[in-house]
Amino acid sequence: MERFIADLVKDFERGKIDRRQFCETVALAATVYAAGSAAQAAPAQGLKMLGVNHISYACSDYKVARDWYMKVFNLKSYNDKGMGRANLAFGPEQGKGGQFLITRNFGNNERKAPAVVDHICYTVANWDDARVNNALKAAGTNPTGRHGSVNVYDPNGFQVQIASIEGENPWI
Amino acid sequence: MYGLAATKLEEFEQGKISRRQLIQSLTVAATSVGAAGAASAQGQVGVTPALINHVSYTCPDFRKAADWYSKVFNLEQVGLKDDDKTHEVTLPFNKMGEQPYGVTAKDVSPTFLIMRSRDLNAPAANGQARPKATNVVNHMAYTVADFDSARVQAQLKALGVQNIRAAGPNAIHMDDAFGYDVEICGLANNALTDGA
Repeated sequence: MERFIADLVKDFERGKIDRRQFCETVALAATVYAAGSAAQAAPAQGLKMLGVNHISYACSDYKVARDWYMKVFNLKSYNDKGMGRANLAFGPEQGKGGQFLITRNFGNNERKAPAVVDHICYTVANWDDARVNNALKAAGTNPTGRHGSVNVYDPNGFQVQIASIEGENPWI
Repeated sequence: MYGLAATKLEEFEQGKISRRQLIQSLTVAATSVGAAGAASAQGQVGVTPALINHVSYTCPDFRKAADWYSKVFNLEQVGLKDDDKTHEVTLPFNKMGEQPYGVTAKDVSPTFLIMRSRDLNAPAANGQARPKATNVVNHMAYTVADFDSARVQAQLKALGVQNIRAAGPNAIHMDDAFGYDVEICGLANNALTDGA
């Protein structure tokens, strides 16, 4: 609904619809939505999700990936016992919404699925194009991109995107 | 800076601020940017992520994947693009305007999944060839509120989720619609505890 209304506002601002059409469409949408909500009033069966917990990143040498992410993202490593994996924490406090990246060596039975996570994007707060690009270059990467979003490749050729809230936002 | 300039200009056009205030505020902001640039030139190395912005998931049928995550995770689907060039839809973990869990900064996007069907060997949007990645993200883990392993397993079974298996008291693995390994955890599973 939010997306629909946002598009409607855009159409109004661009003169594609007039004030009357705008109001009529909103009213109609509200009616349809209310009917749908009543029909779907049964409690949802799914889970209440808070977000991503961690990314499990497998490669031939976890230490190479660990060191790269620690350097480029200023991350702190936990539970690295020299046994082929390390947890790299970021975001809010761990246990209170914080997330982490596990860099690990390939296991013996890595599964092959027809689906793949082909890149991960991270949000950087207080975004400034020049500062982000300079800091990434200083970390030895070669960032390319646009206003509010840059891409780099990690040592395993995996695409890593870094964006502002404006550069990558589900509603913009 | 771009966003600030646009905002201030709008405020000026609407008469909320004077021309003098417009000039002053943009001057201060521009000066700060310059200072930040100077700071980076003096040695800021790397950036600090505030949160995962999005996970790009590519599969043979993005609608099938999106429907699975919508059903199991209760996620809304927004921004459907299904035309000659693009086949994708976005699933945010928050409603529009909600803060991501645990985040206080106001300029951090809610995390979202992008379900896609596309040729991974195609050049990037800028025309550059993509390197062939030698790593694999072999599973993704998501945090659920009020995690209780037995209750969550029962919910997953009721939803028809396949290959559910507990991984200790704080986590459960399962297969998604394409057999991709998905883990769900409570807040107790974090960088300090996982693998400890």
